[in-house]
Amino acid sequence: MPDRSADLVLTNGRIYTLDRKRPWASAVAVKGGRIVAVGEGADVAALTGAATRVVDLKGATTMPGIVDVHAHLMMGGQAELFELRFPPTASFETLIARVGEAAGKAPEGSWIIGGQWGSDLLPKLNRLEALAALDRVSQGRPVMLRDDTYHNRWVNSQALVLAGLSASSPDPEKGSIGRDPATGALTGMMIESAAGIVERTIAQAGHYTEEMDRAAMARSIATLNSYGVTAFLDAAAMQPILAALKGLDDRGELTAWSVSAMPAVEPSFMFGIAGDALIALREQYRGVHAKPDFVKIFLDGVPGARTAAFHEPYTKDPVLGCCFRGSTIVTVPELIRWVGKCEKLGLGVKIHCAGDAAVSQALDAIDVVRSFNGPTKAMHHIAHASYIAPDDIARFAELGVVADLSPFLWYPTSFLEGHKQTMGEARALRFWPNRDLLAAGALLAGGSDWPVMPNPDPWDGIEGLVTRRNPSGEFPGAALWPEQAIDVATALEIFTINSARAIGLADTVGSIEVGKSADPIVLDRNVLETPAEDLADTKVLTTYFEGRVVYERA
Amino acid sequence: MSAPDPASGARIPVTVLTGFLGSGKTTVLNRLLRQPSLAGAAVIVNEFGAVGLDHLLIEASEEQFTLLDNGCVCCTVRGDLITTLKELSRRSSVGETPPLSQVIIETTGLADPAPILHTLMAETELMTRFRIGSVVTTVDAVNGAATLDRHSEAAKQVAVADRLLITKTDLASDEVLRDLGHRLEHLAPAVEQTIARNGEVELDLLASLSADAAADVNHIAMRLEAAAHHDHDCGPDCHHGHVHHHDTHHGIQSFSFIIDKPVEWRAFARWLDYVAALKGEDLLRFKGLVHVTDEPERPLVLHGVQHVFHPPARLDRWPSADRRTRLVFIVRDIERETIARTLVKFAAIDAASIAPPTLAAA
Repeated sequence: MPDRSADLVLTNGRIYTLDRKRPWASAVAVKGGRIVAVGEGADVAALTGAATRVVDLKGATTMPGIVDVHAHLMMGGQAELFELRFPPTASFETLIARVGEAAGKAPEGSWIIGGQWGSDLLPKLNRLEALAALDRVSQGRPVMLRDDTYHNRWVNSQALVLAGLSASSPDPEKGSIGRDPATGALTGMMIESAAGIVERTIAQAGHYTEEMDRAAMARSIATLNSYGVTAFLDAAAMQPILAALKGLDDRGELTAWSVSAMPAVEPSFMFGIAGDALIALREQYRGVHAKPDFVKIFLDGVPGARTAAFHEPYTKDPVLGCCFRGSTIVTVPELIRWVGKCEKLGLGVKIHCAGDAAVSQALDAIDVVRSFNGPTKAMHHIAHASYIAPDDIARFAELGVVADLSPFLWYPTSFLEGHKQTMGEARALRFWPNRDLLAAGALLAGGSDWPVMPNPDPWDGIEGLVTRRNPSGEFPGAALWPEQAIDVATALEIFTINSARAIGLADTVGSIEVGKSADPIVLDRNVLETPAEDLADTKVLTTYFEGRVVYERA
Repeated sequence: MSAPDPASGARIPVTVLTGFLGSGKTTVLNRLLRQPSLAGAAVIVNEFGAVGLDHLLIEASEEQFTLLDNGCVCCTVRGDLITTLKELSRRSSVGETPPLSQVIIETTGLADPAPILHTLMAETELMTRFRIGSVVTTVDAVNGAATLDRHSEAAKQVAVADRLLITKTDLASDEVLRDLGHRLEHLAPAVEQTIARNGEVELDLLASLSADAAADVNHIAMRLEAAAHHDHDCGPDCHHGHVHHHDTHHGIQSFSFIIDKPVEWRAFARWLDYVAALKGEDLLRFKGLVHVTDEPERPLVLHGVQHVFHPPARLDRWPSADRRTRLVFIVRDIERETIARTLVKFAAIDAASIAPPTLAAA
């Protein structure tokens, strides 16, 4: 008779299952990495044998692992391991001082890469005086600093030289190079695709080796695990990322379920093959836990750089004039073709839409595809579903489109300050209509967009969903559109079962149910009873992945 | 879609003669070329030898496919034909050869006619000199049915045809001929079938080689309507002693729409963009005669092959008293209902104004 006993039994817990049919339990049994029983002590007793590891949760709140619907793993790990880091609220002076410290330690000739400066600093950095200050502290090392949107870079003069840029260099397509309005001299500001010129220079210099890639990926996943994340969607998976995930999975070292979105077009911040050529390789990168099941399309830029596409114009700008609305990078028929092609291949499409006009276009395209093809299993996401025309709110549910809530900007931040400058205060504040989307029946899925958020701590996002106030204490007293706040139980669904549905893993992750992967996380508090303003302080004590401990709080 | 451009009358019609391996294309071509009216025709063949008349014969070089710059792998043009047709045009215009009245392209047996049509539709320089005449497809009476079962290429050749020529009929029994006829009717309901006896082709085929586009759409729509009524009278359980082969045509089917209210061109063009973007690969051929709101006296003629649409041509007047919009689709794996639903939703067409000739049969 085969041994029925479980490998692992968790007992005496306050287990919030996120399974609406059975929201609470006290015990869980695990065998072969899968949940085999959920219930009370008596339900797991029969499964507890001599070899079963029994863990007494001592009343600790336990829930399914977090599912992050939007993260950039390699970049997150690289930022953590190899780059200069400062918060987006850092002042210009702090930024310059930090570069100075780093330059003192960096070997001669090596790149100093760092981030992220707040978008609200852009006008200040985009000046010759600022560039001179940066050059003074760089000690001849090339410097590249990313902004909080990851779309733009500010670089020093040495970096401009290495990238072959001078005042006579033309702006690239879909991007621009900052210039002094009087002399035309470069300021070091690299907007959108211009950022790629410098990133490419760094990539070609061999700054990031394969070893660094592997280390960055492993580090990224360990970091996710430490915040309780056990499944994620990598939102711009180029070949090195797919290779690293598959490599880790084959070696049994992948400690989270990974879904990857392959860029349809080479993004401005990552380099290598993209689109059809990359998609064609997807099966060779598929593993038990590594699933290249999405395609990523960037439809516009970001509001702070006036590159997001809006229905109404930006505020007046000396260069762009009175009536600039931004524009989308892909036409509706092109988008239709992509979505149609992906559906044929069984792939979901994640569409970056930062402005409300981009959201409308993405919905229009999906509407066309749905009208021809009917509903499909493949899920399509509108990423950063944040500025949304009122008429479009209901369309998310009607068309079965996932509202990807990332990054955690549903409270006052430096991003919002940047948006106020470019959009005017009233419009900037109509940001993240989460409650309206929810009321209209949309599937809302939570994500970090790490490293756009400096860390992927979902508890920060969850608190913000509930309070609409900045959990760090910055912007005290200010709330962003507080009518759009939602309750904590809903916020927990958004970061677990909803994201699981969104990434196509609803049968595997997102709740504690028999048959699903045993990825519970043990918390230091009962998040359903914690005061809302303390939710971000929640710590994960233990993270399991397929029944194995992959993180334990020291 | 771009704005309609004026129809040009003086262009040279290009006939595509296609048909599966062994279906008798070359025999038909030989007989055709004996007709005095084809004296000024240039013929592009795949190999010399078989055709032995005094026509301007050009051996096409190896089929060269060039991807059209529209991001779609199914849209190719024939680079070899571009070169050949341009050369033909040049030689006749400088007087090296007599004036051209016709060009006939004989394809290989396995050829997909679509890239040839794309070539004539997408190459600006060719479009000013040439226009698509007809696609004539030969079908072997003896082996035709088996070929259609086995080869999707053969089904596509039939589906995109303007004219079907049944060959080797003297070798087939009446029953086989009748069954094949029914099958072809289902695969290409709007297309006239002509029986070629010993390769002899009836004279009306010659007229159809340079058929007028508008009359063509009229004709197709009428035939589709007749086919639908036939099915309707027959009913779904009636077999007329033949077997329906719906499942063996590789998903290819035809249908038409008649719309009795004027069409908003902007909305309609947007719908065409959508359908081309999403379903282009499976839109084997599309023809339309459209009554547009802005110029109701001058209908637009539309022609599309997969993702490639001919710039819409505006006629000076309606070809007949019937001023209803007519649309004809030859598609693979697209349901009629899908087209109808999306026309209503995206092309601003009133559902009640669509008179569906085949709806009753559905």
